[in-house]
Amino acid sequence: MIRTVNLNKIFRTDEVETTALNKVSFEVRKGEFVAIMGPSGCGKSTLLNILGLLDNPTDGEYYFLNTEVSQFTEKQRANTRKQNIGFVFQNFNLIDELNVYENVELPLIYLGMSASERRKRVESALEQMQITHRRKHFPLQLSGGQQQRVAVARAVVATPHLILADEPTGNLDSAHGEEVMNLLASLNQGGTTIIMVTHSQRDAEYAQRIVRLFDGQIINENIKAGISEIPII
Amino acid sequence: MFSNYLTTALRNLLRQKSYTLINLFGLSVGIAAFLLIALYVQHETGFDTHLEHRSNIFRVVEVQNEPGVGEQHVAITMGPLAAAMKEDFPQVTDAVRFMPGFDIPVVNFGDKHFIERNLYYADPSVIKVFGIDLKQGNPSVALSEPMSVVMSEKAAVKYFGSEKHALGKTMLLGKRNFTVTGIMENQPERTHLFFDILVSMSSVENLSDFEWMKGWGSNSLVTYVSLDSPSSQSVIEKAFPEFLKKHVFSTDEGWEFLEMYLQPLPDVYLRSKHIKFQMVSAMGDINLSVAFSVIAVLILLIACVNYINISIARSVKRSREVGVRKVLGADRQSLIYQFISESFILTLLASLFSVGFIELALPEMNQLLSTSFHIDFTGNWLFNIGLLLLIVVISIISGSYPAFYLSRLQPVEVMKGGRGSGSTRGSYLSKGLVMFQFIISVGLMFSVLVINDQVRFLQNKDMGISYRDAVFLSFGNEQGISSYQPLRDELLKNPDIRFVSACSFINGVSGSQGPVFVDDSASTKLTVRFGYVDADFFNSMNVKFTQGRNFSRDIVSDEGRTVIINEAAARKLGWSNAIGKKFKPVMGADTSVSTEVIGVVRDYHYFSLRSLIEPAVYVVSPERFRGLLIGFHSRSDQQKVMKTIEEQWLEFFPESPFKPLLASEFAREAYKNDQNLFSLFIYFTIISGLLSVLGLFGLTSLLIEQKTKTIGIRRVLGGSIRKITAHLIRDYMLLVLSAGIISLPVSYYLLDKQLDQFAYHISISVWHMLLSVLLLAFVAFVTIVVKAYRAARANPVDALKYE
Repeated sequence: MIRTVNLNKIFRTDEVETTALNKVSFEVRKGEFVAIMGPSGCGKSTLLNILGLLDNPTDGEYYFLNTEVSQFTEKQRANTRKQNIGFVFQNFNLIDELNVYENVELPLIYLGMSASERRKRVESALEQMQITHRRKHFPLQLSGGQQQRVAVARAVVATPHLILADEPTGNLDSAHGEEVMNLLASLNQGGTTIIMVTHSQRDAEYAQRIVRLFDGQIINENIKAGISEIPII
Repeated sequence: MFSNYLTTALRNLLRQKSYTLINLFGLSVGIAAFLLIALYVQHETGFDTHLEHRSNIFRVVEVQNEPGVGEQHVAITMGPLAAAMKEDFPQVTDAVRFMPGFDIPVVNFGDKHFIERNLYYADPSVIKVFGIDLKQGNPSVALSEPMSVVMSEKAAVKYFGSEKHALGKTMLLGKRNFTVTGIMENQPERTHLFFDILVSMSSVENLSDFEWMKGWGSNSLVTYVSLDSPSSQSVIEKAFPEFLKKHVFSTDEGWEFLEMYLQPLPDVYLRSKHIKFQMVSAMGDINLSVAFSVIAVLILLIACVNYINISIARSVKRSREVGVRKVLGADRQSLIYQFISESFILTLLASLFSVGFIELALPEMNQLLSTSFHIDFTGNWLFNIGLLLLIVVISIISGSYPAFYLSRLQPVEVMKGGRGSGSTRGSYLSKGLVMFQFIISVGLMFSVLVINDQVRFLQNKDMGISYRDAVFLSFGNEQGISSYQPLRDELLKNPDIRFVSACSFINGVSGSQGPVFVDDSASTKLTVRFGYVDADFFNSMNVKFTQGRNFSRDIVSDEGRTVIINEAAARKLGWSNAIGKKFKPVMGADTSVSTEVIGVVRDYHYFSLRSLIEPAVYVVSPERFRGLLIGFHSRSDQQKVMKTIEEQWLEFFPESPFKPLLASEFAREAYKNDQNLFSLFIYFTIISGLLSVLGLFGLTSLLIEQKTKTIGIRRVLGGSIRKITAHLIRDYMLLVLSAGIISLPVSYYLLDKQLDQFAYHISISVWHMLLSVLLLAFVAFVTIVVKAYRAARANPVDALKYE
């Protein structure tokens, strides 16, 4: 489903040039649950942004669903993204002015779906995330765990092929974190591909494979969690 | 999709209540002010638009240069001009002359007597040239025959009870009987020359009293010509010197200098301020319409700038939303739609409120301008298409920044928190917009200070004559002129009455201007105003003498054989001692003998301070007295006195309508327009100032809010926010100063030009400039300090947590 070949990302400012990703080549198959781990600043989020088509690599190849997308324009990326990818963020990134229902509905609106179809899908996503009773509430009225459940509902409502999660439990206590991880695991069991960036070894255990990044390079790919060789900072 | 925009927009508005209120208030006041001014400009530019062929009609204007008065533009012309122009210029398809019915003080039918202000003699071609629709009568001959009258339906109802019974009726106009030959539709009020009754010009043309109409020496009527095409104007104007040589300079009428030009009829109402003598029933000023239009646009821009500035300041928060929406699949276009529709919703709401504001302001405005403006959603395009257009334009202008700037942000940048109002681009734009507001505010504040001083100057200037506690009553007919003496005696018995003086008008002068010739070898000529007054006028009106004596009832020769002149006349003639000097017989005096100067009165303003005091010559000439000026004691019960005067007046002159004109009102009338427009100007300036302050307040709040973290850190480290405040103040003071440097020269130039319209005016001082900049600086200073103080008092822990 995803294949990258020698992916590079270099950030340049007037004085400094930072290599965030250095010849990253890896593959994710359909239905896989992959965790990306590594210390702060190792390039995890940059990789996730490129995989999620939020950003273009400086060079290298990126095949998404067998299409080379590394040189896509913003419009092409937006189109591919909204049809295929769902996002879950550490800080939830819900829109404060919209209530639970409306937040979940948003991706469907941008897909141009009919109102009745949207209603059906949103209801089902809310039910799946067990948050239906909070549908009229606004993000600021919810607990962190509830907010992340809404974010996950929003990520899955358009039934994307891929869910990208950027430290989904980073802002949650352990009980709520576990709740969210269970949700992601069950989605994966239902066939959704998940790539998750995390600092937490415990969360990484939910994945079938852990990719370790250090200074923008992949240093280790374990099928089904092994023992960490690099201390997590 | 739209319902989602709507929801987000409304909730955003509700969440940020104070900024929403600032925006909503600013925009609604802005829209209201814009529409109110638009109503005024629409009114002003709508004059004479009912005339179908107006672009082909021109008014003839003379440029004279007379000794004593200098160059003057005069739209009152000679009797033979119309016919000569028709004869000499093939491009002139028609010509019409109008002349006020000054020999018809009162119109009578049966027991109805009215003073008609809107009565004119006119040539028969008036019906064709002015496109008059005759409801009854034959348009081609209605005004051809002498003693014919065409009147409006309204006038017909007034005299005959119904317009149906008017045609063919005979009525008394002045001393002669006329027949109604036509009934025309009522003329629209928005015309520079409003007429109710038209009398055939041929009725007077051959009378001996009107002999002057045949010569080129006297200007008493207005001439309009209809051309085959507007482009013929320049052809005729080029030929005027030759034309004048042939007709005017060849005669012995005393013209030494004369030029002519054609003024397009659509210009007459708005662009005739430079014309000294003209016959109009209403006059506007294009400069004012332009000035008000500029203010309207500025007010609207200020309101939009406030919105944009608040948007820029809030873009940090909004950019996260943009990022999320982009991640979820929104493209640029849909985000642009979203932000524009957000400003559209706000503007729509604001326009609803603005209607309320307009409704509140209209009564005051109508009173100031003597208009009857009203909100009309169906009949006036300003309130339907205009308002809609306004809403769209404002939405686009004010929604443009968030729409085009924020929608361009890359989601990944936004999610990392890299952009927002902290970006230099946003802050430069923001500063530029604040500067723009300051430029406008300084300019307007400066204008208010200067105009305020000028208005005070006009109000307080010693006019040299006292217009208090007196009333003027016009004789309806010649009976009054010959027999006012018994009424005068009777009135003077009333202890409440101070004086009774017969004169040509309240101000002592008549409408006519003409030459006097000094009785010397060179017959030195001076163009003067003639005034006809009795022996009581000057003392009663507190006009002081600088030389010689007043007229006396006891000296017989004072009636017609002596004159009093004003200082301006003495100065122009170079007479340091004028007493005993002689003129050749003057108009209105005994024509057989030279007249001797017996006194010189101090220059007093017989007209407004717009014009210089011109030379004047006063004669005791009872046949030219037009009414009685009656003074009463200020302590007396004015209503009671007026009642008594009315009773006595009607007893002596039953056929002269009692129409008192208060002298104080006459004096006020000269500046009423200036004062009212100034009040209006002040209102709109206050509005724009208020909006600027409001914007500044909103912007400063947001800027300080963004610095909350800095403030918090400083306070945690034991520092104060004084430095931040000082920094902010320094920034703004620099802006205020730069705004002053840009704005003041431009405003100075415009104001100076406007002041030049007044012959007597203040001069703009450095203080006006300094004060306007200081005022603005003060407002900005207070705003910043208040906001900074509040930020400083907040708990730093909250501030840090917030970030």
